[in-house]
Amino acid sequence: MRIVHRLLGSAGVLSLAVACSSAAPSTPSAAAAPPDDGDGLVCNADQHPAAPLSLLTRAQYDATVSDLLGDNSQPSSSFPPENQVSGFNNNTEVHIANPLLVEQLMGAAESIAGRAVAANLGTLAPCAGTSTAELTSCGAAFVTSFGKRAFRRPLSDDEAQAFNTLFAGLNATRGYSPAVELTLQAFLQSPQFLYRMDSELAATPETGAVPLDSYQLASRLSYFLTGSMPDAPLFAAADAGTLSSPVEIETQARRLLETSRAKAVVRDFNRQWLQLDSLSGLARNAPEGMVDVKGIGADYRESLLQFLDQAFWEHGNLQSLFLSPMTFVNARLASVLGLAAPATGFASVSSAPGSVGLLSQPGLMAMLAHADQSGPIQRGVFVRQRILCLDVPPPPPGLNPVPPDPDPKLTTRERFAVHTVSRACSGCHKLIDGTGFGFEKYDELGRYRTQENGLPVDDSGEMLDTGEAAVNGPYHGVVELSNRLAVSARVERCLATNWYRYAMGRVETEADGCSLREVEQKFHVSGGQFKELLVAVTASEAFRYRPAMSGAL
Amino acid sequence: MNRVRKDPALSRRHFLRAAGGAAVALPLLSSLRAGAAGENFPKRLVLMYTPNGVIPDAWWPQNVTSETSWDLNIIHKPLAPFKDRLLFLGGVDLKVTNDGPGGLHQKGIGGLFTGQQLQSGDLFVDGCGQRAGWANGISVDQEVAKKLAVSTPITSLELGVRATENDVQGRIAYAGAGAPLPPMNDPSEVFQRLFSGFGQNTDQLAELRARRQSVLDTVQAQFKSVSARVSQADQQKLSAHLTLVRDLENRMAITGNGSQACVAPAVPAKLDPSSEDDMPIIAGLHLDMLATAFACDLTRVASFQISTSLNHIRYPWLPSMGEGHALSHMGPSDDAAHHELVARQTWHSQLLANFLTRLSQIPEGSGTVLDNTLVVWGNEISEGNTHSHENMPFVTAGGGWYFRTGRSLQYTSASHNDFLVSILNAMGVPATTFGQADLCKGPLPGLV
Repeated sequence: MRIVHRLLGSAGVLSLAVACSSAAPSTPSAAAAPPDDGDGLVCNADQHPAAPLSLLTRAQYDATVSDLLGDNSQPSSSFPPENQVSGFNNNTEVHIANPLLVEQLMGAAESIAGRAVAANLGTLAPCAGTSTAELTSCGAAFVTSFGKRAFRRPLSDDEAQAFNTLFAGLNATRGYSPAVELTLQAFLQSPQFLYRMDSELAATPETGAVPLDSYQLASRLSYFLTGSMPDAPLFAAADAGTLSSPVEIETQARRLLETSRAKAVVRDFNRQWLQLDSLSGLARNAPEGMVDVKGIGADYRESLLQFLDQAFWEHGNLQSLFLSPMTFVNARLASVLGLAAPATGFASVSSAPGSVGLLSQPGLMAMLAHADQSGPIQRGVFVRQRILCLDVPPPPPGLNPVPPDPDPKLTTRERFAVHTVSRACSGCHKLIDGTGFGFEKYDELGRYRTQENGLPVDDSGEMLDTGEAAVNGPYHGVVELSNRLAVSARVERCLATNWYRYAMGRVETEADGCSLREVEQKFHVSGGQFKELLVAVTASEAFRYRPAMSGAL
Repeated sequence: MNRVRKDPALSRRHFLRAAGGAAVALPLLSSLRAGAAGENFPKRLVLMYTPNGVIPDAWWPQNVTSETSWDLNIIHKPLAPFKDRLLFLGGVDLKVTNDGPGGLHQKGIGGLFTGQQLQSGDLFVDGCGQRAGWANGISVDQEVAKKLAVSTPITSLELGVRATENDVQGRIAYAGAGAPLPPMNDPSEVFQRLFSGFGQNTDQLAELRARRQSVLDTVQAQFKSVSARVSQADQQKLSAHLTLVRDLENRMAITGNGSQACVAPAVPAKLDPSSEDDMPIIAGLHLDMLATAFACDLTRVASFQISTSLNHIRYPWLPSMGEGHALSHMGPSDDAAHHELVARQTWHSQLLANFLTRLSQIPEGSGTVLDNTLVVWGNEISEGNTHSHENMPFVTAGGGWYFRTGRSLQYTSASHNDFLVSILNAMGVPATTFGQADLCKGPLPGLV
């Protein structure tokens, strides 16, 4: 699928590739001018983005199985990892079945069903009778009640019949308990369980935009905000048919945001938005006299996630994300960073040297670095792509990018200056390196420093061609940059776009334009409140409607 | 590695489909006695991939005076015991990367075993801003699997060592256009999949098969009825999934021929697939289990990749504390980087040598499994500091039933698509083109 339109112009992974050459410094994101009412969007009520099938991710599978059967064994740990697009693993275009996954789904269904029947047969499929008729009737009750929760909607007559037939046959040949177990296995491997289906043919031909039905909306809400199947109140609302009202959707969204599963969703989003998985294999050369840094990536990751949790749940807004002076450390990180060690676990430290918001977090700085030196390019790319949704223009054809060998006599900045001096590289690299050089006071372990190799660290940087005048221009250090980004309209829109992609399991298309703009505006009006952003996504038309399908049953 | 030695009578087995930790085995039936006469043994194919190019001066054979008179270079010294089974192919270019979208690493890894360009699109962006989709076709191992794997419990085994990049830069095997196959990085998962259910008897097997059949029949019916109610795009996804379920069910009936050497290895310790420190152990376990899977005829097709293109991994056990991709960019004048890279690439060839040794220890008829295995080793670029796709470092091991091995050949700007055709032919798949057809002239001359 070609992406034909971006509210953010060339956002993130996006399409507006800009030529980079020595002759013509790029003009990235010419289309990145902030959208406003004059941005050419025509909000046509009949135009809605597709609502494709969406296969449960590993995290969703585990949470769903936990809610459905109380099975907390995280059976998806043996599943192959999802393919990723723009950082997110729930992209409906590339997260699709493969042979290994289908095989593992069968194995998982077998072990889950085995455990469920061994532990809970009496609650799962209670049966007082012993005659074939009674057992068959209990089986049918199980199919109806369990089937509804597994498929997240009542079973159709055909579906009930298919599962009843399976159950009755198994009951006759193998007995009641095996029949429940194998029927359970079949539920867990059926497409109605494994996929969320928002577009199904209606009995009569449709036109225009079609509202999702109550059960589809219940699942959209629950998987977006809790990463799992609908809970009892959502099912009740769907049963009552009240979910179609915007007021009820908002009420449910606000309720779900207060559940513990919402905490896991925010972590899942942050982990993917900021691409924190690369921390798990983090390898850093241990400085002399330093504690063992093997496996320290997991510490950094938890530190970052705790910072992000606090920004989302306690401070609650975008400004605090960029300006909060907090850092979270355990004993090992405290030792590395020269901070006081907590007695156990992680504890927060306020106003550690150089501590200002997300961009100064030790975990982020360590992630965006090399084993033996800081990483101005990684940091520049990160800020431009993940925080500002700007394209990094590709290098000119045939260019052979060769990073400099660390020269112990130079600062990192001097070593990388070749990029911005060389004419071939400078077109693109002045955008990237100018952004990244301002982070030079944070080394490859995220430690704050004012000197490198005995030389003073120069942390002057320059933001160029960001598409927002207030962000552009020279700056000194992360404090100044963070203050700029904390009030940037582009940063606000970029975060909204990322949450929108995560919610929809897609990169936005032209048809998302109006919904996305509405979400951005609500986020802005709220003063950058994260929860308002998520509620706004659930209120958008793209979240509540799908395009008409051609044909009918 | 310690092996679980069981009663010799039970060590000859054949297998029912392994799945989700339910691999099962039963004593070899007399009617299935391996390789009675005729020496007609199954052929196996392994694709091996290592990233970021090689140091050509230390990689290509030296003192070459003729095809058959040459010496192994430093990197390949560990392969000395197998010199007469090797085939070096100089002058083969990855022409398929000359056009099409994507960065040099992306195009290289996507085209290496598919012979196809990448699909255009915005899915993946490399570090330099290049964007592309997945490779646009099936890879050669999967084409071979269509023929070779019809009678094995597992179609093919994809194994990775820290191959944890889940996009186009991390995939070498494709079931079809845009359908990459993810590698397994955790040896305990591989063990679980292959060997965990050893020892069930015939009755237990028949029961398991019957249970699965009734479940999967219902599941398949559900896929069909749902498919009728969704859009065409969604139908394609469901239909692909249904095909995989059907294949799962069909393979349940398959039993493989186990040889004497078919003995389950010890349960591997739990390792961290994201840790660079564990890479040597993981690589060893993977290859050991693959050799056993061949001995048990659980599968005949596999791929094995050490990490992914453009990775930043150190090899601290060598020790090489430089990051792979950054090291590979260093010019020839950088002695320290050069030495590290040679050490790293020598470690890769040591892994291959260990694997060949294992295969050569598994008797098969009057020879060994190595006599019936072809390993093809490739890289997504030829040299790190040029990122060239010319004169790709291709070497094969084994395949002696078809290739005339023990030679170092020099082509002039040959197309690697033709090399892929030769691989198909060696594996008994008749073909004159593979991948992008206009880059094919037929199998590479002089190999057989």
